[in-house]
Amino acid sequence: MQDSIERTITVNAPIERVFHAITDPEELVKWFPDAVEGTIAAGEQPTFEFEGYGKSKIYIVAKDAPSYFAYRWVPGTTTEDAVGTPDVLSVTNTLVEFHLEATNDGTSVVLRESGFASFPPEIAASAFKDNSGGWDYMMDRLGKLFSE
Amino acid sequence: MSEQMMAQSSAARIFGALGDQVRLEMVRRLATQSGTLSSVSQNLGISRQAARKHIQVLSDANLVSLAPRGRETIITLEKQTVADAHQFIREIEAQWDRRLAALKAQVEFDSTNS
Repeated sequence: MQDSIERTITVNAPIERVFHAITDPEELVKWFPDAVEGTIAAGEQPTFEFEGYGKSKIYIVAKDAPSYFAYRWVPGTTTEDAVGTPDVLSVTNTLVEFHLEATNDGTSVVLRESGFASFPPEIAASAFKDNSGGWDYMMDRLGKLFSE
Repeated sequence: MSEQMMAQSSAARIFGALGDQVRLEMVRRLATQSGTLSSVSQNLGISRQAARKHIQVLSDANLVSLAPRGRETIITLEKQTVADAHQFIREIEAQWDRRLAALKAQVEFDSTNS
């Protein structure tokens, strides 16, 4: 079973600029979550808010400027669970990694999300019971994407 | 339950069921042909009772179907469910494609306007 996905794009901008865009809360909200609470630093657990869908706590694994940024999140838990969870690492999560590399054209960005085949039945049960969590958000966003 | 809710709950169950080396191996064995409890658990070093539990988890996730035949149960892989799991991954890829396109647009717009 496929356990990870990987995407690569090239951004026509300096590597420092791209790193800033993926790690600075004020920049992040321009393209990803609608709001960020907390600090984006290794070991911290800030919250990503998605308007109309709730909040998701993430765990920052590494922030190594300007080439590597990684966090873990819990796409399968409910909003309350995700925010109330004292430690993201105590529940099953996927690892999201950004690898940046300076190229002749600007910056190569490799995105990798892994751990899909490790969702335990508890997470599955939680997603099954509550439809306000991350899975909804994903599926709804995707539904919109496909209907456009 | 809406079709969308069905899709997300089954995706979570599928990945939950597959998040185990023993069950992954069972699915691998069933990919080529249907089997029995004995054939799918052979040489895995687990008891018959443990094997039965694993098969039940796979069955709950609709990854396998069970058909009694005499004293045995024929276990068959539900290929559509496996295809659904692949589709789910394709959709998460599409989601990242959209996010990364938004990142690129944002950064490049800023770069040309600063």
